[in-house]
Amino acid sequence: MSDLVLALPKGRVLERALATLAKAGVAVEVPADPRALRYAGDGVSVLVMRNADVPTYVDLGVADAGLVGQDVLLEAGSRLYAPVDLGFGACRLSLIRPQGATTPVARVATKYPRLTTEYLRRAGSPAEVISLEGNVELACLSGLADAVVDVVETGATLAANDLVEVDVIALSSVRFVVNRAALKLKSSTLRPLIARLREVSGRSE
Amino acid sequence: MTQGALPEGTRFLAPAEAAARAAAIDVLRRLYEAWGYQRVEVPALERLDPSHPRGDKSFKLVDVGGGVLSLRSDFTPSLARLVRSAFPAVAAGEERPLRLSYDGLVWHAIDPELARGREFTQVGIELIGVSSARADAELIHLARESVRALGLSPRVEVGNPAYVTALFDAACVPDEARRGLADAIDRKDQTGVEEIVTGLSLRGPAADALVAVPDLYGDASVVDVALSSAPSQAASEALERLAGVLDEFEDSSELMLDLGLARRLSYYTGVTFRAYTFDFGQPLLGGGRYDGALLPRAAGFAMGLGRVLAAVAAAGGAGDDDSSPLVVTVDDVAARRLRAGGCRVARAVSTDPQHVEREAQALGADYLVTPESTGPDRIVALKGNAVGRNRIAALLGTGART
Repeated sequence: MSDLVLALPKGRVLERALATLAKAGVAVEVPADPRALRYAGDGVSVLVMRNADVPTYVDLGVADAGLVGQDVLLEAGSRLYAPVDLGFGACRLSLIRPQGATTPVARVATKYPRLTTEYLRRAGSPAEVISLEGNVELACLSGLADAVVDVVETGATLAANDLVEVDVIALSSVRFVVNRAALKLKSSTLRPLIARLREVSGRSE
Repeated sequence: MTQGALPEGTRFLAPAEAAARAAAIDVLRRLYEAWGYQRVEVPALERLDPSHPRGDKSFKLVDVGGGVLSLRSDFTPSLARLVRSAFPAVAAGEERPLRLSYDGLVWHAIDPELARGREFTQVGIELIGVSSARADAELIHLARESVRALGLSPRVEVGNPAYVTALFDAACVPDEARRGLADAIDRKDQTGVEEIVTGLSLRGPAADALVAVPDLYGDASVVDVALSSAPSQAASEALERLAGVLDEFEDSSELMLDLGLARRLSYYTGVTFRAYTFDFGQPLLGGGRYDGALLPRAAGFAMGLGRVLAAVAAAGGAGDDDSSPLVVTVDDVAARRLRAGGCRVARAVSTDPQHVEREAQALGADYLVTPESTGPDRIVALKGNAVGRNRIAALLGTGART
């Protein structure tokens, strides 16, 4: 059978992801060249990409499985199997406003336009949503928007910029996601891997 | 607007692809016909029906009288209407098998994304008027054979959403929480299921079964595992139905059980299934039983032909091209004889011998047949071989010279 192909997000999560996989018995050698986009391991190959692209690679079956934050899965409206909550990369997806803001929210900047639109619709708010690529807190500070929806880990960035979390929309942590066909067709590899990942993340019964 | 630009999610099929698609439809039509299914046709234009299960996905059009029409987004509701009109007794509940097959275009008004088309060809069958493990098994068997007939190695996942619904009832899951819980189960999101079950303060054997169900996939033994702790009569019945379906198969090695299939719970009321093939990450077909949703007893499946053909191409193509030789000639008498003999013959547009040869080359023809006046060597093999040449010679009644 062909190698197991894993999609992993580049950046901070990558190191932790590789360490977790190693603990679960999947050794992946990180190539010396930091520009490498594909890593090979024993019976495994790893594709490294932006976290928002992980659901796409796994959904279309180019990768059999991957690691990605729940926030990204929610934003993608993903129907992927998500059998393991790996626990790390924990953060909150929150509505954030400048300290003391009391006016109704009129404009919200975010990297999560879909989730934000859904959240505002649920809350009955007519606010408009602006989609930004990064540093969304700046939108609040500069007056581009009067609120932002973004991930909060420790809250240090918010405190340093006089911003406060007004509402927690969702909790997120890194999930192991699996392509629907792959779970069934490569179950002899994936099932034991899922069990081991649950063990190392303290999620086994 | 760019001239000639197609609407997103639609595409041309050039001859090679169109031929592959026609050949695949032909193979499937013959398979279903051989199993006693009768082909029907339904209109692509429908009256907008708010109760249509895929209504949110349909393109809407304004009729000349001002009414609203929609483009077919799913064959099943239209077939149900056909049954109500042509077989009212079956639609009213008479128990007798009605086997229908169809193929045609459907349109989905979705954001064009993720390599998903908005206009695509579906081929499928419906087995209406009966509801039994034996009927479920017939559809699963044909789902498997449909994939095999197209040259792919099938694997079919089989589940019964009625089991999940029975667990919801037994655990008294409130209506408003069912959708979220079904979604978490269908995505095998163990953490999500635990959180919802804990959040609702569900306890007891039915709650335990809900937490366990996402991991109950694999071979037939998962049915026995679930049966040993089924929390209600309805749950046992759903599992026994699955066991009954498996009993219908002499060799069930290509079937994979998954008790956590919980897609579209309000529509699918019984055994559902999806077919896959190796090294292709998307399902090739899907279907199941929807008794009571549109008709008293009905089940079926639909295959997205474009996706299946992509899987065939990924697996190395459809194998040998067994189409008949292509001949080019200026001689209409010869052309008539060759066509009658099963050859494909294109008339040369030019009559100048040199142009004719170039024309034949450009068409990728196998043979060129020059006018009779050119003598016994009138068959020129371009891509064709000696065997084909002899066959053409025999059809033309000239001596074969190789």
